[in-house]
Amino acid sequence: MIPAALTGSLVEIVGSDAVVVDADRLLVYESDALTAYRHRPGAVVLPRTTAQTRRVVRAIARHGLPIVPRGAGTGLSGGAVALDGAVVVGTARMNRILEIDAANRRAVLQPGVINAELSVAARPHGLHYAPDPSSQTACTIGGNVAENSGGPHCLKYGVTSRYVTGLTVVLADGSAVRLGGRGREAPGYDLVGLFVGSEGCFGIATEIEVGLLPLPEGVRTLLGIFERIEDAGRAVSGIVSAGLLPAAMEIIDGPTIRAVEESVFAAGYPTDAEAALVIEFDGVEAGLDADAARAAEHCTRAGAREVRSARDEPERMALWKGRKKAFGAIGRIAPDLLVQDATVPRTTLPSILKGISEIAGRYRLVVANVFHAGDGNLHPNILFDRRDRDEVERVERASREIMRLCVDSGGTITGEHGVGLDKKHHMPLVHGPAELEAMWGLRRVFDPAGAMNPGKVLPDGAKAARTGDEARRRDTGGVRGAARAAAASGGVLGLLPADRVLSGGAARAWAGGFPAEGVVFPGGLDEVCALVRAAADTGTRLLPAGRGSWLWAGGWAGGGAVIVSTDRLNAVSRYEPADLTLTAGAGIGWGELDGVLRPNRQWLPVDAPGVGAGTLGGAVACGVSGPLRARYGAARDNVLGLEVVTGDGRVLRVGGRVVKNVAGYDLVRLFTGSRGSLGVITGVSIRLFPRPDADATLFFEGGETELLAMAGAVRSTSLPVAAGEVAEVRGGSRADRTGLAVRVLGGRAEAEEVCSRLEREIGAAPGEVLWDGASEIFHGRRAGWEGEAPMVARLAALPDRLGETLALAREVAAEVGGEVAADVLSGLVRVKGYPPAEELPALAESLSRARRAMRNAGGAMTLSQAPGELAARVGWTGDPGTSATLTGRIKSLFDPRSILSSESP
Amino acid sequence: MSAVDDTLGNAVREQERRLLNCVHCGFCLPACPTYRRLGDEADSPRGRLYLMQAVVEGRLAPGSDAFRVHIGRCLGCRACEPACPAGVEYGRLLELARQVDRDARTPPLLSRLLPRVFGTDWIARPVLFAGRLLRASGIPALVTRMLARSPEGGRPARTVGAAGLALAMLAASAPPREWSRRRPPATSGQGDGGGGASTERGGAGESGRPALAATARTGPSVGLLAGCVQAGLFSRVNAATARVLGANGYRVVPVPNQGCCGALHAHGGDLEAARALARRNVKAFEAAGVDLLATNASGCGAAMAEYGTLLDRDAALRERARDLAGRVRDVSQLLADRGPAARGAAIRLRVTYDAPCHLLHAQGVADPPVRVLRSVPGLEVVPLDGADECCGGAGVYSLANPELGGRIGSDKVRRVLETGAEALVTGNPGCMMQIGAGLALAGSGVPVLHLAEVVDESYRRGGLYEGRTR
Repeated sequence: MIPAALTGSLVEIVGSDAVVVDADRLLVYESDALTAYRHRPGAVVLPRTTAQTRRVVRAIARHGLPIVPRGAGTGLSGGAVALDGAVVVGTARMNRILEIDAANRRAVLQPGVINAELSVAARPHGLHYAPDPSSQTACTIGGNVAENSGGPHCLKYGVTSRYVTGLTVVLADGSAVRLGGRGREAPGYDLVGLFVGSEGCFGIATEIEVGLLPLPEGVRTLLGIFERIEDAGRAVSGIVSAGLLPAAMEIIDGPTIRAVEESVFAAGYPTDAEAALVIEFDGVEAGLDADAARAAEHCTRAGAREVRSARDEPERMALWKGRKKAFGAIGRIAPDLLVQDATVPRTTLPSILKGISEIAGRYRLVVANVFHAGDGNLHPNILFDRRDRDEVERVERASREIMRLCVDSGGTITGEHGVGLDKKHHMPLVHGPAELEAMWGLRRVFDPAGAMNPGKVLPDGAKAARTGDEARRRDTGGVRGAARAAAASGGVLGLLPADRVLSGGAARAWAGGFPAEGVVFPGGLDEVCALVRAAADTGTRLLPAGRGSWLWAGGWAGGGAVIVSTDRLNAVSRYEPADLTLTAGAGIGWGELDGVLRPNRQWLPVDAPGVGAGTLGGAVACGVSGPLRARYGAARDNVLGLEVVTGDGRVLRVGGRVVKNVAGYDLVRLFTGSRGSLGVITGVSIRLFPRPDADATLFFEGGETELLAMAGAVRSTSLPVAAGEVAEVRGGSRADRTGLAVRVLGGRAEAEEVCSRLEREIGAAPGEVLWDGASEIFHGRRAGWEGEAPMVARLAALPDRLGETLALAREVAAEVGGEVAADVLSGLVRVKGYPPAEELPALAESLSRARRAMRNAGGAMTLSQAPGELAARVGWTGDPGTSATLTGRIKSLFDPRSILSSESP
Repeated sequence: MSAVDDTLGNAVREQERRLLNCVHCGFCLPACPTYRRLGDEADSPRGRLYLMQAVVEGRLAPGSDAFRVHIGRCLGCRACEPACPAGVEYGRLLELARQVDRDARTPPLLSRLLPRVFGTDWIARPVLFAGRLLRASGIPALVTRMLARSPEGGRPARTVGAAGLALAMLAASAPPREWSRRRPPATSGQGDGGGGASTERGGAGESGRPALAATARTGPSVGLLAGCVQAGLFSRVNAATARVLGANGYRVVPVPNQGCCGALHAHGGDLEAARALARRNVKAFEAAGVDLLATNASGCGAAMAEYGTLLDRDAALRERARDLAGRVRDVSQLLADRGPAARGAAIRLRVTYDAPCHLLHAQGVADPPVRVLRSVPGLEVVPLDGADECCGGAGVYSLANPELGGRIGSDKVRRVLETGAEALVTGNPGCMMQIGAGLALAGSGVPVLHLAEVVDESYRRGGLYEGRTR
């Protein structure tokens, strides 16, 4: 029961029909889709707008009551359950689609919009929203944001956080902050990435901007029938190792098959099989049949009894329907159901499945498996009867054993359902005290009073904080002494053997003229920790770096810092090609990485400017992305885990090496792109992709107007274009000229088809087409385009404003004798230049003007490299807006002494 | 509490035993028209099931406001059933919950009165007769026009009030005026033209049974449920149904002593009254010896298809009720099963189809009506956005819950108008009156037709009935 005064205020804000305080009526809000947890809230409020939500939250905060955000209540981790009489703020009435911007393939929504309905609304525009959780007909986008939801098609398309580009968030004090920008490029920390998956602990997202994708023109769906589930698991690994990238791969085991077939969603799976593997390919028609045939062959080779293909759309829908409704259908074979959700490296699937069935046998339980096999995201559903006390006990023990099995195999405790109430006690299985403490810290950044969804995600506060302190003491013991020694012996530069330290002229030479005090090359994690702590103790500025190619990319450009190079931390510690993941030291060079991946026909498709010369860690720290982003995502979308030494000398191991992981807050995204301002990245796990068979680049030439028109066609085509750039093009067989370079990647037949259709859609013949090696070499050179340029600015607005952005960029370029490169698909235009020192003040003026113009157009201008003086005058990113407070708090959380780059990115 | 233990409690336990219990997944939420509009979980199927469970567990008093309000606010459209992966038999549980609610307190007058009226022949006949007289007086139509505004500035029906809405619904039951220029010939008092009370009375026949037109001499025998409201206010639909079935090779046989199907009673929780009516119908149709039982009111069809469950504690009649329930078919199914075999003349008209809930969700009949419409030459069938959502009529719902029913109804009207259709086709008298009233109140002249009427008109134009004797 809430105080009458609060009821009165709430009614005044939202009206009496939107406030539930009657204890009987509140019964129905006791639980979400995980009914094991039941707690009646103190009240439920259903605001309709951001403004109402702010007032509601303020009113509740005044009375000191906790708040639980709730969408459709379809969550499976107890995340929307209100503990201690908390007030539920429901988003059901905030269910409007505010805008579908087809030209820029984005939509702006209220949080209560149902996932599937966004795709329905986007369909007339030839677009859809890719993440498709199995509950998509009922779950809300707001809930998806809170949980970072996945779904079957995330194998190819990625999870929710890849698609959320901007958020309006109401914080626990009732203030509203704007995170992210319009479109893809937003300056500052990746607060959107951090918020997505925060399970209602950071605030309530009241306006959500998402990216949409064109509907694939063709789909092939296969069904492999297996006698043994391990065989199905092997088929999945075989398909991935062969370089095929299906849109989805789902396994449904025998018990689940039988439940589905008994339900109203009977899909025609044979009830005597022990596994059904649904495989789906989508894309342009050409090549789909060949891919499907190859996948079918892998199934047969792995022991499939039969491989069927859906003959038409109704059959395809029926296959999917059975899979998507499996959770509910399993309700038909047992009174109660514990839905588990763990992710493991794909190659371990067969042994894990065997292990699970062994555990089930030992505890005399039935486990029904239905899961996203392509992602290694398991859903072992344990059947039980809650009236049987002994059985409940066994379920709990088995469940924990299953989780431990998954974690021991390199997996995590939740891939998409979230931690919520259900798994918070299991968090120590995957996170150490330091990581948990960092998560507590981030929670306090957003919600200092601890009012948002308390009691969820993180194990009990006091306990965690205590173990955190212990950990810190334990960690620190050995190196504290070293730090003191360093202070005595003349600072950070004295800490490492002389052959791993550069100072004076040598340091400047290594840094290409960057005004560094010195350069140190730690050989291991301990040394990095010691350096950072010594720096913290002595107040020495540190600049984390790899090979020094992005030194001008952040703070301390004014000089006076010691560079910590990760160059020697360059070993590949784990690479399993069939898992499509790799873990290596941050200092591994791009070229060495390519050398490891190429023999297995794999790559990390990040074609960001300058990557060729730099290191993996540097690219991650700078959060780089290039024109391939539209197809493969940016660094933020492909980093799975990080090892970081934060500014206070703590080691954090965040994320993991599985492609889906929602166990706790997304620190990986926070550190990715933080430009060395929060810590030194020492190790990286990344997601890899099969290298496409064909790589083609089409050059189109013409005047600026023609090029822009052609760019418009490239932007609006539904064909899978990998990248498109308008730039002064060097390379190819002919002389330099301005042109439009369009890159097409895929299977041979697919690429040829796309190229020829693209020509027709653009309405012009390309001046030249480069294939394969030639195309690759060309793009390799393009990646070095920024090269040694001391100034690079990025102007980003929505893609359909490319013309205006380009014109503005050209003005800046003209002043510095530079060049521009415009990413057609993202709307980002880069300017590089070589400003003479005496012109810096004037340049600063025009850059500031450009920033204002970009902001007025709803975009942003950031400096990605700049001489110190210029950066000081203009600022790397400009005003971070309403998120400034959050940014500042995050900075002091991880770098309390401000020894790392003083300015946020 | 006895009602709880005997009925709802048993049913909930039985669902658990059959593992049809709610797993709380929430898939039903977006399917529910009341949840979509109110956003309160207590107004969702999952929430209502939770309340039922709480009553059964003794955590919630059956007489509590929460139970009364939220169970009462359910349309009973059963759109949640096809959305439910666990197979919860929501409609059945709802009826039992309403019985519990009824036993806990006195239900509102209207909910008690209407089923009583329609379930009792000697009351129903004069009341419906009076209704027809009132309708023929033109007063309801006049009032409707007075209440109406233009579609642009149209006021939602909820501001009209229950009395106004009731009059508008009555007016909407009248034969539509202008949808086809040539009316069928009014021979032997069986015609359906003009729209006067006198023709209606003639068409209804003395026992409310349909007049049998042009029936086949061989083929499966079909008994047509005349219904209460259908017979009283839509006799033209009954007549059309008989004719089109006959034209498609069905032998339509008379079924004396039949009566109201009991759907209204069951939906309102008066299961005893419903059972009494069911028993009467089981015996009547059995005696007529029909192969199939045809309905043209989907609410009745759904109720009769569930006679087996309704009478499952009646040892004497259980099997017979199950057998009859298995023979129930909607007229659209019967026509679609035959192709339809008969082909009439063209009707140049753009129509759209709204699926009655108790046809689509309760009986699972989705395609047949559309297939039948598409078979009518000249007819242009345009899709209706939200055709699978309840119109808000839901038996007496729109009268008992004018505000919410009105909101749901005006959404339907808006969508119908957006299609640009010249007529709306559906398959249930409640829907016809609800949407018809809504359209009229919005100032629209778009008529609402029964599927059988449309087919019938096409056959009539095609001369299929000429030269036939009846």
